[in-house]
Amino acid sequence: MNRNPKRRVLRLTAVGAIAVTALGLTACGPDIGTDAADETGTGRLQAPTSEQPEGEITIWDRSGDLYEVFDAVIDDFTEKYPGIKVNHEAVDINAKLQNTLITGTDVPDGVFLDDALIGGFADHLWDLTDVLAPYVDDIAPQKIDATSAGDGIYGVPYDLNPGLLFYNAAALEAAGIDATAIETYDDLLDAARAYQQARPESHPIHLEQSPFLGQLQLEMYASQLGTSIADADGELRLDSPEYEQILTFLDTVQTEGLGTRAEYLSPTDIAELENGDQVFYPWAIWFDFAPQQLLPETSGDWRAMELPAWEDGGARGGAMGGSSFVLPRDGENSELAWLFYEFLMYDEAGYSAVWGVNDIYPTGLNTSIPAYLPAADPSAPLFQPLDALGGQDLWAVATTAGAQIPGGTAIPSWWNGAVDYLGNDIQKMLDGDLTPAEVISGSTDAIQTNLIDRQ
Amino acid sequence: MTTSTLPSAAPQRARRDPVPRSRRNGTAKLRRRSAPYLFVLPFIVIFLAFSVYPLIFTARLSFTNWRGSGSAEWVGWDNYTYLLTSGAFWGSLGNSAVLWLLIVPIQIVLSVIVAVLLDSAKLKLRGLYRVAFIVPFVTPLVAVAQIWVVLFDQQYGAINAFLGLFGIPDIGWLTTSAWAKPTLALLFLWKTTGFIVIILLSGLQSIDGSMYEAAELDGASRLRQLWSITVPLLRRTIMFAVVLQTLAVFQMFAEPFVVTQGGPYNSTTTAGYYLYNHITRGDLGTGAANSFLLVVIVMVLSLFFVRMLRAKD
Repeated sequence: MNRNPKRRVLRLTAVGAIAVTALGLTACGPDIGTDAADETGTGRLQAPTSEQPEGEITIWDRSGDLYEVFDAVIDDFTEKYPGIKVNHEAVDINAKLQNTLITGTDVPDGVFLDDALIGGFADHLWDLTDVLAPYVDDIAPQKIDATSAGDGIYGVPYDLNPGLLFYNAAALEAAGIDATAIETYDDLLDAARAYQQARPESHPIHLEQSPFLGQLQLEMYASQLGTSIADADGELRLDSPEYEQILTFLDTVQTEGLGTRAEYLSPTDIAELENGDQVFYPWAIWFDFAPQQLLPETSGDWRAMELPAWEDGGARGGAMGGSSFVLPRDGENSELAWLFYEFLMYDEAGYSAVWGVNDIYPTGLNTSIPAYLPAADPSAPLFQPLDALGGQDLWAVATTAGAQIPGGTAIPSWWNGAVDYLGNDIQKMLDGDLTPAEVISGSTDAIQTNLIDRQ
Repeated sequence: MTTSTLPSAAPQRARRDPVPRSRRNGTAKLRRRSAPYLFVLPFIVIFLAFSVYPLIFTARLSFTNWRGSGSAEWVGWDNYTYLLTSGAFWGSLGNSAVLWLLIVPIQIVLSVIVAVLLDSAKLKLRGLYRVAFIVPFVTPLVAVAQIWVVLFDQQYGAINAFLGLFGIPDIGWLTTSAWAKPTLALLFLWKTTGFIVIILLSGLQSIDGSMYEAAELDGASRLRQLWSITVPLLRRTIMFAVVLQTLAVFQMFAEPFVVTQGGPYNSTTTAGYYLYNHITRGDLGTGAANSFLLVVIVMVLSLFFVRMLRAKD
């Protein structure tokens, strides 16, 4: 044992210095008070006043085809604004954005983001109410709801993802079923029963097996009825006749054995689509990727129609997913980034380059339609008819469905967290372990306790 | 004749260096004493910045409801009481515990057997086998996970197709709560056993060969040698592997993330994955509290194994 008093003093000094330094460093964290300040809505972005502003902007997009599409538009943008240099980066946004916003280091000026995530980041983002004012009346109401938090709008709406009923026209015709006669979900059930009678081994309607996508699909059905999991004030509204009706429909498909339980485009799902056992797929427009690339056997047999209505004359459009562009407050040239997105979404040259015929998509980008209504004119198609849908004009179907999507469908900041409760409970119901009423009561309690009360 | 007198060295030095001897000695002593501290200073700085600071920052965060922006509200023990009374938190720990039981005992026994076989001088192509065992460990998990999903698909996977040859009905390997954990454990076993084999091989090579020769002279069988020489002398290495894998299983994240996303019904939501969920949802205060609870649990488990090792020694 070392009993040298000088050394002991030295050691104590060193330990003390380390402790003081460490404690000093922790003061670099957030201020702690007894009542957290709500900073939402304190910063409204204004457009630049100069005709030809100058500067450099950094734009984050996901890697992949969409990145290439946006990248190709930059030349057109810089032709209009030669003083603005765009640094376009392909980034794993879900992995990187949160840390970047918290640390405030190397924050991009604009980011492509899922609508469901916008509310969670609103404190870090510019309120775009003022810059969007000239366009807001021409944007799909559902997208304004999806990008709003409190009194502000925190995203430049990008795409509208109308839900459609995809169906295997060839298989249904062979079974003597006229799918075009389907107008309501009751009609869909009748058609599925008739198909199963003709093909006893079939399970005609897709029942999603992923909790996340299952919840997203539930919200598509709810969107048709003008409701969503929570209202604009964050109040839960699962316990409602609308959700009861939707869950009862799904439960009926399950209990009558009319559904194929599979994850979206998993090997089982693809096989069941290809062998004609699964012929109805109520899903967002982006399902059209499957007949184009993943279903070689039945490509050309598929068609799309508006979703069935929940009651005669009801809306036949509902939204499933979607993305927007957000502008972080810590970005250096956010106002210039706004000009980029304004060009991309609200200038004909911009949105035509995104959805129209381009080098990346030779027949146009057909997995979504613009959220800007003048760009989504059914009579002025941006993308071409699809061979994989037997030459059908998907643009006309999707824009007609998109125009019917009701507003009033807010997305709460805790939407993704709800998958652990509502998403899982839907799966339990589809496995026959819960009733619709149990899903509603169980999920309502769990979401209220674990998510809403802890905001 | 002139005489010249050379000045003595001492006054010369005194002129060049006016510092008194006692002070010079003190400076040298200080240098000597401070040298070790200066040598470890870079480590201390890095340790402070990347270990102590995050630890204290996390501790501070765990008592707030900070969501990544604005000021944080002090919530006292609320995050801890929420977690300790949450079925989901205990469920995630339970999932990790079951995975530990499915992985660690099997892996250790398997690794000892494989390591002993690979250590045998009579085995031909030893190098090839060693490489073959380490290949899964260095293969990217995402690629492996995709293969796993296809292999274990309920209706069209190769595993069910093979079992079907023997009349066994299709099993929902990744879609039923009962089978998802064993399937995930199998993936983890396949992926990491080669690494444990390498660790045990290094332990085996430190065992003096003369002990086996003496045992052979005494007529001990191979099995007897394994049980009475190899295993006792490998105990420290085995315990090291157990602690290592205990940490790995309780922090397991990537495997459930890419294969099952924690499902079905959270049956593969491990402690590490549950923690990740808080972080990605911006609930940083609860995430920080969860981290601390996880650290405590893993530390207690590790101490338990170390104590066990000492008791045996």
